[in-house]
Amino acid sequence: MTRGTALAQQRWAIIVPFAAFIGLFLLYPVAVVVYRAVTPGGSIGLDLLQAALQGSYLSGFMNSSLLSAVSAIIGGVLGLLLALVIASIERPRWLRSTLDGWSAVASQLGGVPLAFAFIATIGTQGILTKLLAGAGINLADLGVSVSGFWGLVVVYLYFQVPLMFLIMMPAVSGLRRSWREAAALLGASGWRYWVTVGLPLLAPAWIGGVLLLFVNAFSAYATAYVLNSGSQLVPLQIRFLLQGNVISGQEDLGYAIVTWVLVLLLAGLLGMAGLQRMSLRWLAA
Amino acid sequence: MRGQGSPVGRFLAWGYLAILGMFFAVPMLAMARFAFQSVPTALLNAQTLTKGWSLEGLAHALSDPQIMAATRTSLLLVLVSIIVNLALLLPVAIVVEVSHPVLRPWVSAATLLPWVVPPVALVVGVAATFRGTVPWFLASPLSLAPFYALWAMPFTYRALENGLRSMHARTLVEASLSLGCSYGRTITRMLIPSLWPSMVASACLTAALVLGEFAFASLLLKQTLPTQMLNYQRSDPRGGLALALFVMIVTAALLAVGIAALRRRGMSLQATGI
Repeated sequence: MTRGTALAQQRWAIIVPFAAFIGLFLLYPVAVVVYRAVTPGGSIGLDLLQAALQGSYLSGFMNSSLLSAVSAIIGGVLGLLLALVIASIERPRWLRSTLDGWSAVASQLGGVPLAFAFIATIGTQGILTKLLAGAGINLADLGVSVSGFWGLVVVYLYFQVPLMFLIMMPAVSGLRRSWREAAALLGASGWRYWVTVGLPLLAPAWIGGVLLLFVNAFSAYATAYVLNSGSQLVPLQIRFLLQGNVISGQEDLGYAIVTWVLVLLLAGLLGMAGLQRMSLRWLAA
Repeated sequence: MRGQGSPVGRFLAWGYLAILGMFFAVPMLAMARFAFQSVPTALLNAQTLTKGWSLEGLAHALSDPQIMAATRTSLLLVLVSIIVNLALLLPVAIVVEVSHPVLRPWVSAATLLPWVVPPVALVVGVAATFRGTVPWFLASPLSLAPFYALWAMPFTYRALENGLRSMHARTLVEASLSLGCSYGRTITRMLIPSLWPSMVASACLTAALVLGEFAFASLLLKQTLPTQMLNYQRSDPRGGLALALFVMIVTAALLAVGIAALRRRGMSLQATGI
């Protein structure tokens, strides 16, 4: 069989460089980080991993988790609502496809330009800040500053909501009209249908989506850095440690922090993958 | 949503869309105004609204020598990342889909790995390893390219895999070989041309990724467009914002082209994790 022999002879010449590339540029650096995190001072120990969860580093993890959780849950609710609204509107046909395409783009935007856009909007010289001040509303008094916690949440929602919409749209479209009609025939109100049938069916996809949004927010760096490089968030603390701005004896702390971050992200992504599979099974039935 | 037919339900649905639409439109408009109008926000009123609009800020930013150098670096990085990425993944995808489906789960999992390790985490490992052993490697801004190629793997591999499957590559290759066509010709004359849309899609998405990546470049102190843009904005806020808006529009256009190409093959971008 020519097909078998020709490619079989070359398969290692093709697979090996690929594996070597991933090994060299991804697995090797990650392995070194994890190895150094679990061998403080040359012997195996958990001191570093413990130290990375104390004091300001613990509050860094808390702040990052809180920011990610809040932006993931609000983004999750708004994104789900958007998917439900779009599924209910049939008339302009282009609406759904336009929003689909737009969300795919917006969910990947972020970084420096997005931070700039919000500085121009709700920064101290922002146009919305001035507009609201003209109406007697002071954004700063409400606790909304572009460099504060809620400012970051608002900026993150800019990519979290479209991402959630993309995740929920297939699940929402998977809800069959006949289920709803069956519920109505059995005497269930619209509200009852959502509470006992619709939302439980959407739950795995939604929770999985929230996990993805959490991971997405947790590892976001550029936006937080531009808006407030001094805030105590894990990605910014990593920068601090990487640039050597540390008390002596703490140089290796960065390895432990990154190890924890990787554990957290891996757990979140595995959880998401499991829930997505569950959702597919339920809605494809 | 409930109340599909009811006017109240419809009103709420459209009201929600309008509010969200404003949330997404206002920051872009605010940014555009700041970038292209020289009137300070404090002096903005009905009379000054139409005054002072120009593209001067953008022209100024684009002619800055450091921005020009950073743009060149970023474009070079785009090119090298795309080439490295496709050179590694195209042969692998062909081997897996055409002759070695046994490898499919392994390769698929391997291409998803970069997704678990975000730039801000990998940079610590890179500094810990390459900085000490091969400092010359990290000295060049092109050293970012392999890592960008890495982060482009999840969506590139999926695009190629999808392309090969939807054209039934295995059957086609068997047919072509049994008709006496050589292996090389089958690949260059049949597989590559049919995979063109997948390759264009992943190239566009890779370009968008490279033009937007900030954390990795910034932490390794490389002057790419995103990092230099931030420096520039400190000295010229208006030009900086104009440049950022310009880059954002270019990135969005690249994403849109890439996503449209994937959509045509029934793929979505929901889990690419750029």
